[in-house]
Amino acid sequence: MITVDKAVRIYRRGKTEVRALNLESLVVPKGQFLSVMGASGSGKSTLLNLLGALDVPTSGTITIEGREISRLPDDELSRFRRDRLGFIFQFFNLLPTLTAVENVILPALLSGRARGEMVPKAHALLEQVGLKGRDHHRPDELSGGEMQRVAVARALLTEPALLLADEPTGNLDSRTGAEVLKLIREATRARNLTVVMVTHDPKAAEVGDRIVRLADGSVVGDEQTRPQAA
Amino acid sequence: MLQLLRLVSIRHLSLSPLRTALTVLGVAVGVATLIGIAAINRAVMGAFRSTIDTIAGKADLSVSAGAAGFDEALLDKVRGLPGVAHAAGSISLIAPVKGSPGERLYVMGVDLLDDGFFRNYEGADRDVGHMSDDLEFLNSTDRMLVSEGFAHAHGLKAGDVFALLTPEGTRDFVVHGLLKETGPIKAFGGLVGVMYIGSAQVAFGREHVLERIDVGLGPGADADAVKKTLRDALGPQYEIARPDRRGQSVETMVRSFQLGLNLGSSVALLVGVFLVYNTVAIGVVQRRREIGVLRALGATRRRIRALFALEAMVLGALGSLLGIPLGTLLAKVTISAVSDSISSIYVQVNAKSVTFTPTEMIVGVALGIGGSLFAALRPAFVASKVQPVEALRRDMASGAAELNSFPTAVAVVLLLLVYPATKIPAPIENFPVGGYLAMFFILMGTTLLSPLVLRALQKLYQRPSELVLGVPGRLAADNFARAPARTAVPVSALAIGVAMTVCIAGFVGSFQKSSEKWIDQSVPADLFVTSSSKVAGVQNVPLKAEFGDALEKIEGVGAIDRLRIFQHDLMGLRIFIVSLNPEVYNVRGKPDVREGRLPTPQMREAGYVTISENLGRRRNLHPESTFQMDTPTGVRTYKVAAIITDYTSDQGTVFMDRRIFIEQFRDDRVDNFEIYLTDPRYLEPVRREITERFGTQYDLYVLSNQQLREEAFALIDNAFSVTYAMEFLAVVLALLGVINTLLAAVLDRTREIGLLRAIGAARRHIIRLFTTEAMLIGLTGGVIGSFSGYVLGYIVTKVVGVEATGWDFSYIFPYRLALQMMVAATVCAVIAGLYPARRASKLDVVEALAYE
Repeated sequence: MITVDKAVRIYRRGKTEVRALNLESLVVPKGQFLSVMGASGSGKSTLLNLLGALDVPTSGTITIEGREISRLPDDELSRFRRDRLGFIFQFFNLLPTLTAVENVILPALLSGRARGEMVPKAHALLEQVGLKGRDHHRPDELSGGEMQRVAVARALLTEPALLLADEPTGNLDSRTGAEVLKLIREATRARNLTVVMVTHDPKAAEVGDRIVRLADGSVVGDEQTRPQAA
Repeated sequence: MLQLLRLVSIRHLSLSPLRTALTVLGVAVGVATLIGIAAINRAVMGAFRSTIDTIAGKADLSVSAGAAGFDEALLDKVRGLPGVAHAAGSISLIAPVKGSPGERLYVMGVDLLDDGFFRNYEGADRDVGHMSDDLEFLNSTDRMLVSEGFAHAHGLKAGDVFALLTPEGTRDFVVHGLLKETGPIKAFGGLVGVMYIGSAQVAFGREHVLERIDVGLGPGADADAVKKTLRDALGPQYEIARPDRRGQSVETMVRSFQLGLNLGSSVALLVGVFLVYNTVAIGVVQRRREIGVLRALGATRRRIRALFALEAMVLGALGSLLGIPLGTLLAKVTISAVSDSISSIYVQVNAKSVTFTPTEMIVGVALGIGGSLFAALRPAFVASKVQPVEALRRDMASGAAELNSFPTAVAVVLLLLVYPATKIPAPIENFPVGGYLAMFFILMGTTLLSPLVLRALQKLYQRPSELVLGVPGRLAADNFARAPARTAVPVSALAIGVAMTVCIAGFVGSFQKSSEKWIDQSVPADLFVTSSSKVAGVQNVPLKAEFGDALEKIEGVGAIDRLRIFQHDLMGLRIFIVSLNPEVYNVRGKPDVREGRLPTPQMREAGYVTISENLGRRRNLHPESTFQMDTPTGVRTYKVAAIITDYTSDQGTVFMDRRIFIEQFRDDRVDNFEIYLTDPRYLEPVRREITERFGTQYDLYVLSNQQLREEAFALIDNAFSVTYAMEFLAVVLALLGVINTLLAAVLDRTREIGLLRAIGAARRHIIRLFTTEAMLIGLTGGVIGSFSGYVLGYIVTKVVGVEATGWDFSYIFPYRLALQMMVAATVCAVIAGLYPARRASKLDVVEALAYE
C-alpha cells in the first residue's frame, strides 16, 4: 500500500518558486494498477519521482509498504529503490554495453546478490516477456518493443513492492505499445504488484484499475475503471 | 566565421571551464618546456662562447696548444714574425673558491702592458691604466684585481684577503683593486680575477708556461697570410685560429646532451597536443546535435571544419601565451642545474641568467598554435561529416563505436619502419637522426594502435574487474573500450610519459650497470684522492706530484698510481688523456680488453697506446691504427695497441704511460692519487690521516671504492635529472587528460548514471564505476608505456647512445621502475578520476534521467 499525505514539492528556479506538487492525500492499495494522467507541468512526473524515491518532498510524507521514505538519506533511498522498486522508462534506458540478460540482472548485482542465482531467473523472466532466444543480444540489436520488454523483465527481477512506469509506450508504435502494456498488466496482476504508470495517452491509461488526473500539482479527477480488485 | 566562433565555440569553452583550463594548461606546459629548454641551451652555449669572445677581445688570431700550454719563449718568436704588430701571452684557469663550495673564479694571467692592446680593463676603485708601472702588483705572487661582482659577493675591498685552491693547495690572495664588469670582465658570469702573468704562473704552478698568445696584425697584413707564416714558423702542434672559430669542438661535445633535453621538451609539447585533440574530439561528440542544427541551418561542411580548427587554435593561442611566462620561470629554475651538469661532465660554464629572444617566443607560440591546429584536424573532419538529420535524433549514448582501420594500418607501417630507421647514419657527429626517428615511429605507432589494444584489453579486464569490484567494475571495463578512439588519447598520453621515463631509466641503468662492472674490474684502487671535485674530471684541480710522496709514507699504503686526467683535442673530439703507471695499473686492475693486447714497455716506448672503446668507434680506430696528436713537444704519431672498456669520458680516452706523458706533455701534475692498501683494514685509518693532515690545505676528497662508485652513479643520474623532470611533467600532463576524458564521460553518460541510480545504484557504486575506469586507463597507459619504453630504451642504449657517446652498453631493462611506473600511473589515474567520479555521483537523479 502507498500513502501520500500532504506531499508538497517546491522547486526553486532562480528567484521564482514553482509548486510542482501539492497533494492533499493519495492512497494506492496493494495490487492496484494506477494510471496518472495530466498535461505537461501538471505534476505527474514529480509525483512519480517522489514515489520512486528519486526525489523527496519539500514537506509531507510518503509511505510505501509501511516505510516512510520522505526523510531517508541518499544511501537508504538507493537501497530502497534497489530492493523494493521497479522502473520502466519511456526511453528504455538499458545499458548499451550489456546484453539483455545482463541488463535484467543489473539491479540484483548492484545489491550484491550472486550472479549464478539470478541468471536462471532472468532467463525465465525474459522468456515470460516473450524474448526467448534473445537473451544475449545487446540493446542495439533489439527493436524498441524488445528493449521495453527487457526493461519490464528488469523491473520484475527483484520482486519489487511497487512498479513505476513513466510513459512506457511513449516511444513505441501503437501496436507494440499495446502489447507492452498488456504484458505489464498481466505480469503485475499475476504477482499482485502495485503499479503507478504516468501517461498522457488515454488509451494506455484505460489499462489501469484507476485513473487519477492531475492539474497544477493537485488531484482534479479520480475514477475507477473497473471494480476494485479483490 | 568569427561571429560563429564567438557565439558557439567560445561559449562552449566557457561552459566547461575546467576542461578548457586543463587543456590550456597542457599546451602552456608543453610550450613552456620547449622554449625554456631552447633558451637554456642557448644561454649555456652563449655563456661559453661569450667567455671565449670577450676574452679574445680585439685579437685577430690566437695561438694555442690545448690545456698543456707551451713554453713562454714562443712569445718572442711570434713577436718577431712579419705581419705581427702586437702579441700578448696569457694563461687562464678556473680556481675553486675556498669556503664557497661550487663557486669558481676565472683567473686570467696577463701582461697588462701588452694586453692593453687587446682588452680594456676599467678599474672601479683605482686607475688601472698604469698597472705595468705598479711594482707592488708586478712583484708579488698573490695580488689580484677582481671583478666588482666577485668582490661584492664576498664582501671584499682592496687589501682584503681571500683564498683560492691551487695545485699547491689553498693559497691566500690579496685584492689589489676592483675591476668594472666591462670588456673581458664580463666573461664567465663576471666572476673574474686578473693577475700579472708572472705572478699567476707562480701562484698556480705554471712557471714559464703560456696557454695562449693573442696576435694583432700590422696595417695591411692579411690574416690568412700571417696565419700561414705562424704555422710554418711554429709547427703544426699549435692551433692558430681566428677567435670566433674556437669552441667548436665544445659545441659538438655538448650537442648530444642538449639534444636529449630538446627531446624531453618535445615530448611535453606532444602530450600537450594530445590534450587538445582530446578536448576537441570530446567537443565534437558532445555537440553532434548542435553541429546537426548548424548544418540544418545552412552551415557548410567547410565551415564546421573551420569552426573546430579555429576553436583549437584559440586554445593553442591561450596556452602558448601562458606558456611564455611559464617557460621563463622554468628556465630560471633549471638553468643552474643544466649549467652544473655541463660543467661537471664537459666544460666549465657559468650560465646564471637566461633571456628569451623574440624568435624563440614566436616559434613557441607558433608550435603551440600549429600543434593545436594539427590536433584538431581529425576531430574537425569528423564534425564536418555530421548529417543535418542528427539534430533530430535523441538517442542515448551509443554503445561501442566501430574502429577505423586506417590508423591501424598506418601504425603497422610506422612500426615496420622502426628497424630501417635505426640504420640511418648520423648526418653530423652526435646527432643520431635515425635513432630519434625510430623513437618517434614507436611513439606514434603505439598511439595509433592503442584503440585496438584497448578493445582487446577490455575482454581481459571484464571478468577480473567484475569479480573484484562487482558490477561497477564490469561496467567500467565496458565503458573503458566504448569509445576506444577517445579513451586511447589519455591512455596514449600516459603511455608516452611512462615510456620516456622507462626509456631514460633503461639507458641510465644500463650505463650505471656497465660503469659498475667497469669500476669493479678496471678501477680497483682502495682510495681515491682528488682535489676540489669528488671525481677527477674537468672540475678537478690537479695537484703537484710531490704530494704523492707524502701519501706514500702513510702506514698501510701499498702502492700509489698517479693519474693525470688531461682534456685534449684529438681529431675534432675533446678527449681525455689518462696518464698512469702501467706497472701498477695492469697488475692491480683487470682492464676489459675488447681488441688487441695491452702494450708492453717496449711497445709503449715505441708510441703504442691504449684507447677507449668509444674513441675507437667514433674514429674507426683498431689495433695497429695510427693517429696523430698535437703535444707541447710537437705533433706525434701514436699506434693503437688495445681497445678497452672505459667510461671516463663520452668523447673518448687515450691511456698513456705517465713517464711518457710527462716527457711529451711537460705536465707532471696529478688529478687523482689512486691508493692501493696493504690491507683493507687500513681503509679508515689511512683515510683519516690523509683528511686530517692535508684535507683542508688541498680541499681534498678521499673516496673509497664504494663511494667513487656512488659518485659515478650520482654523476650519471644528475646528467639526466632535468630530462627526468620533463618526463615526469609529461606524465602529470597526461593525468590532466584522464580528468578531461572522464569529465566528458560523465556528461555523455549522464542518463545512464541516472538510470543506474534509479534502479538502486548508490553513490559509492557510481564513484567506483568511474574510478575503476580511471584505474583501467592508468593501468593500460602504464602497461603500454612500459612495453614501448622497453623498446625505446633499447634504441636509446643501442642506437642513440652509441652515436652520442660511442659507448655500447649491454641493455638492462629497468623492471623495478617499469613496475613502479605502472603502479604509479594506475594510482595517479585513480586519484585524477576521483573528481569526475564525485561529480558523477553528485548528479541529481531526476535531472540526470531527463538529461539529453
